[in-house]
Amino acid sequence: MGRMDFQLNGQHRELTIGDREILLDVLRDRLGLNGPKYGCGLGQCGACTVLVDGAPARACVMRAARVAGRNVTTLEGLANRVTGQLHPVQQGFLDGQGAQCGYCLNGMVMTTIALLERHPHPTDSQITLALRDNLCRCGTHQEIVVSVHHAARRIAEAADVE
Amino acid sequence: MSNDLAHGSLSIFDDRPEGRIVFLHLDTNGIVTVRNGHVDLGTGVETALAQIVSEELDIALDRVFVVLGDTDSTPDQGPTIASETIQITAAPLRSAAAQARLAILGLAERRFNTPACDLLSKDGTVFGPDAAYGYGALLADHELVMRLDPEVPVKDPALYRIVGQPVRRRDLPAKVTGDFIYIHDLRLPDMLHGHVIRPPYAGRDSGDFVGRSLISVDKTSVAHMAGLIAIVQEGDFLGVVADDARRATDIANALKVTWRMPPDLPPLDHRLEQTIRDQPSTPRVVDATGDFESAFAECGTQLSRTYLWPYHLHGSIGPSCGVADWNGGAPLVWSGTQNPHMLRADLAVLCGLDAGEIEVRRLQAAGCYGRNCADDVCGDALLMSRATGRPVRVQLTREQENLWEPKGAAQLMQVQGGIGQDGDLGAYAIDSWYPSNRGPNLALLLTGRISPEPHHAMMGDRTIVPPYRVPHKRIICHDLAPIVRASWMRGVSALPNTFAHESFMDELANEAGEDPVDFRLRHLDDPRQADLIRRTAQAADWNTHAGPRFKKQGRMAYGQGFAYATYVHGAFPGTAAASAAWVCDVAVDTETGEVTLTRVFVGQDQGLVINPDGVRAQIHGNVMQTTSRVLSEEVTFDAIAPTPKSWANYPIQSFDRLPQIQTLLIERPGDPALGVGESAAVPAAAAIANAIFDATGIRLREAPFTPEKLRAALVGQGQGPTSLPAPKVTSRRRRIWAALASIGSALTFGALALPIHSAIPVSRAPLAAQFTAETLTRGAQVFATGNCAGCHTAPDGVPNAGGLEMQTPFGTVATTNLTPDPETGLGLWSFSAFERAMRHGISRDGSNLYPVFPYTSFARIDDGDMQALYAYLQTLPPVRSAPAGASMLAPLNLRPVNAAWNLMFHDPAPLPVDPAKSDLWNRGQYLVDGAGHCSACHTPRNALGAEQAKRALTGAMVGEAWAPALTGPDADARGWDEDSLFVYLRQGYAPDIAAAHGKMAQVVDSLRSVPDSDIRAMATYIASGITPTPVIRSKAMPQPGPASRIYQSTCAGCHTPGLPGAETAARIPLTMSAAIRAPQSDALLSVIRNGVEAPLTLPLRDMPAFDDQLSSEQMDALANYLRERFAPDLPAWGR
Repeated sequence: MGRMDFQLNGQHRELTIGDREILLDVLRDRLGLNGPKYGCGLGQCGACTVLVDGAPARACVMRAARVAGRNVTTLEGLANRVTGQLHPVQQGFLDGQGAQCGYCLNGMVMTTIALLERHPHPTDSQITLALRDNLCRCGTHQEIVVSVHHAARRIAEAADVE
Repeated sequence: MSNDLAHGSLSIFDDRPEGRIVFLHLDTNGIVTVRNGHVDLGTGVETALAQIVSEELDIALDRVFVVLGDTDSTPDQGPTIASETIQITAAPLRSAAAQARLAILGLAERRFNTPACDLLSKDGTVFGPDAAYGYGALLADHELVMRLDPEVPVKDPALYRIVGQPVRRRDLPAKVTGDFIYIHDLRLPDMLHGHVIRPPYAGRDSGDFVGRSLISVDKTSVAHMAGLIAIVQEGDFLGVVADDARRATDIANALKVTWRMPPDLPPLDHRLEQTIRDQPSTPRVVDATGDFESAFAECGTQLSRTYLWPYHLHGSIGPSCGVADWNGGAPLVWSGTQNPHMLRADLAVLCGLDAGEIEVRRLQAAGCYGRNCADDVCGDALLMSRATGRPVRVQLTREQENLWEPKGAAQLMQVQGGIGQDGDLGAYAIDSWYPSNRGPNLALLLTGRISPEPHHAMMGDRTIVPPYRVPHKRIICHDLAPIVRASWMRGVSALPNTFAHESFMDELANEAGEDPVDFRLRHLDDPRQADLIRRTAQAADWNTHAGPRFKKQGRMAYGQGFAYATYVHGAFPGTAAASAAWVCDVAVDTETGEVTLTRVFVGQDQGLVINPDGVRAQIHGNVMQTTSRVLSEEVTFDAIAPTPKSWANYPIQSFDRLPQIQTLLIERPGDPALGVGESAAVPAAAAIANAIFDATGIRLREAPFTPEKLRAALVGQGQGPTSLPAPKVTSRRRRIWAALASIGSALTFGALALPIHSAIPVSRAPLAAQFTAETLTRGAQVFATGNCAGCHTAPDGVPNAGGLEMQTPFGTVATTNLTPDPETGLGLWSFSAFERAMRHGISRDGSNLYPVFPYTSFARIDDGDMQALYAYLQTLPPVRSAPAGASMLAPLNLRPVNAAWNLMFHDPAPLPVDPAKSDLWNRGQYLVDGAGHCSACHTPRNALGAEQAKRALTGAMVGEAWAPALTGPDADARGWDEDSLFVYLRQGYAPDIAAAHGKMAQVVDSLRSVPDSDIRAMATYIASGITPTPVIRSKAMPQPGPASRIYQSTCAGCHTPGLPGAETAARIPLTMSAAIRAPQSDALLSVIRNGVEAPLTLPLRDMPAFDDQLSSEQMDALANYLRERFAPDLPAWGR
């Protein structure tokens, strides 16, 4: 057990953490977040994905103590805190209707954010490769690919405005 | 918005067996609430229902609030199955909305004093000739209560403005921000967490062992554990309730439970067909038009074919979750169920209550494609809430969900048919076996509330009658009980039945030398169905052909397939949902047998389209999901239970298999809306099989169409890979017995000459305060360089107090207590006793230490360092701890044998300085070969357990770990050099080469207190032994098969991720993995089994353990695959 400081969705948090506590359990059960979902507990499906210092991380296989001193962003932390305006990737998934049940949506959105940092204008094959390790059982894959293109367009448009 | 305070409302109700149901309620705010007994399984049907109400009531969509499935207020309209929601259960809502609109117009007539025909209703407002009133205002001071009139006139679809338009899903905005509350997200005040412990007969629901296999529960085994609230047991139901979910899981894992083992399952893998045939079943003739036997006998072309469908997992992405509150005997249950009313009835039986005393509130869950564990988990939660009097949440694990969900049933179809003298289909018979029922609630079975007698449900008859004109038919559904727990899954029995029908039609067309589409059309009387087929074939650019075309380019073969079906659901003869036709294009890799769907074109006739975007989403989903089922999914079983515990051995669809999906929605606004939830799935298997036939001439009749199945068929046909490499088998060398024999003889002749060491008298060690700070710092560094704490600390034990069990080929030695405790530690050891132990391996009492204590290296430590180390040890907090002694195989249990060993193998002389080398190098040698004792792990040992000096640091197995080569060409092959060694020893991670884990991670952790200069010296010395080697790697990938699928579904996400840079991904390519490059597979298997948990103090990453997820055969296959794929330059491992 040890004290741990980290930033969660832009806010400073301090917790006492056991060495073997899993980040997903801490986020959901101790901090009451709902964005990251439990799907497999083995890093196989991606439903639990969060961003750690901007990089996607599977919260179900990461020990919480590993985020000490770092920035964790969950689905809840994407929208603008002041205006409530959605992150362009969230907006892109609404534009493309990229969910059926939506249980995998968290992982798709978080992974897309990382993808678009790497490839701001991805091709279909870059998208399908980047999202390959995120499972969707409803079969929303085509809508999700379209959503990623919408998200890329929205980010580009926002950059133009700035 | 109208006046909030105005009284008034409009309700439309009906009296039903379950009580009075208010289908529609409109208030003075102009908000309409409608109720439907079905639920949204994640398909967006809620949005479509709102569209229907919005359309009929002329009210804005955002004013429509839809309540789905809550048992207290919605009608019992049966389970949300068979794509019935829009087609059947929406009817009362449509009528109620139309009726409400007429009632509002009636009010408006009086308010405007204008006949209704001159009024216009739109967006919740009635417009008169010169004024307008909102519905809410019109309702003010009226309390209208009306009985539902199913005959009320509804709108002419030609006037629709909202129905038929694409409408965005109403639940997505909250889902995309994390604000949406799924059942998994429900948290009640005072809520506890339950973790169920299931019996060993996973996924089975009949037989006299069900509910009667729990022998004992040792509650004392967990009584001390924090957070425990209750252990709830009834029959075979067992659950742990705790104040926290993780604690509940930990307690459940620790609880000692004894079960009786169930009898074996009948074989369900390779003998599935025969097993199904062997089950008791009841033939039910559903169509016996004409005289099949005689007509078949007269057919010029006769075919008899058998098709087989495997068990499938529903595979919801979120394992089931439920919350129950006993609530003083009036339970409230929150559920992601498909069938709230059916669940309520089950829970009533479970608790001996009337159904009316229980309320089930339905929340959305992860997508569900049939009967999964959503209901079971509510029974679990209710039992545990009743026992504790507090709300209990139960979240199943992925493993529990996979093992226990009622599977999509296997199915056997046997078809006979022929073409008569006239060239037409003359006779057709199908026998279909579908071992399935409605999946009784698990809590009822486990507690013994209901009998585990096998029983069937008559659901094998969906789309069992082919749609074609056949004068003589014999259609038989063989009803049979489940073999393993199995119930409905998307497409139910219609999907496998259609696999048979539509494959068989293709086979007949081939026999007849006709184009498969023309052949079908020629036998189809229904013009609407024929229209669907014609338009689909045309829009999809169907390539007319007779027989397989064998279109080939290089190793790839290309084909196109067609299939079509109407999904018929409900009790026979059933109700038709939408009809769907598939044209699909496949590419078959004839070397590997892999089938890629390049394009799927689906034409669908669903009558009136409510939400075209929603319909297309259902088609896309059906295509992706069913393609996965057809090409790769199959539940495997061991002797007693299903085996897929995670996605590792049950891979499902992924983005890299996304074909181009095109749709054609046949516009029929004048016809009733037909269900679309499953129809596009139904033709999938046959269409794909037919396309593979076109490409290769191979007819696959057993799903899934895996690469290995197709490869075998291609080889049989002479089309496949010309030669498959035979696995090399080498026998594993086991030399322990030889070693024991020789040490035995050593004992025989050496016994007399053994030096017998004297004890060194006890002498209180000097106090730490007597040493200078400089000495203690130096000692701490020697201690860190040797990672002494690493071996002298037991797992979860007190640091340095010993007790870690060191496994050697000769037995087990527990490490000793290094702390200055006088009785159990070094507190009474003088320096000379300590030094003798370190340099000669002789304990203070004169007994020999086993060379697993690396005194052969420590002998090289110079006097200053030795004294400093001794001083430092006195500063450790004394801990009383006397670890058990050694347990060695004879004759090594005789410690004097070790004295003989020392004579043979130990040279305690100091290391000579090499004047030709730099000071840094000499310092490195001193550290590496002395305190660092790197050779203890990295140097192979001889048969007597001594390090082989000539092969120093060339790599060795240590227990189940591989300590890789630090020297010679092997080290070069992995890319080691001085700089990378320095970085690795400093932080445990050398980019693209290695990340430390296991013992080595502990070593690096320990080295954190050693200065950079010493780390650099060690790197310099080790790097000087590296010699270059050319590396030749072949690029051939192993053939796809079960092992490659395990790799792809469970390893690839972290080890060859589609998107690099993930925080939890591995950073070292597997081509660099020491474990994969080890001479035997044990090290790799150990990593797969146990995972990696690296020290939190280092910037390293962990890997989950897979020991519970994969069978030992699967782990072996995976290890061999990894070796073949990532170390192609090395020989295969033998087992």
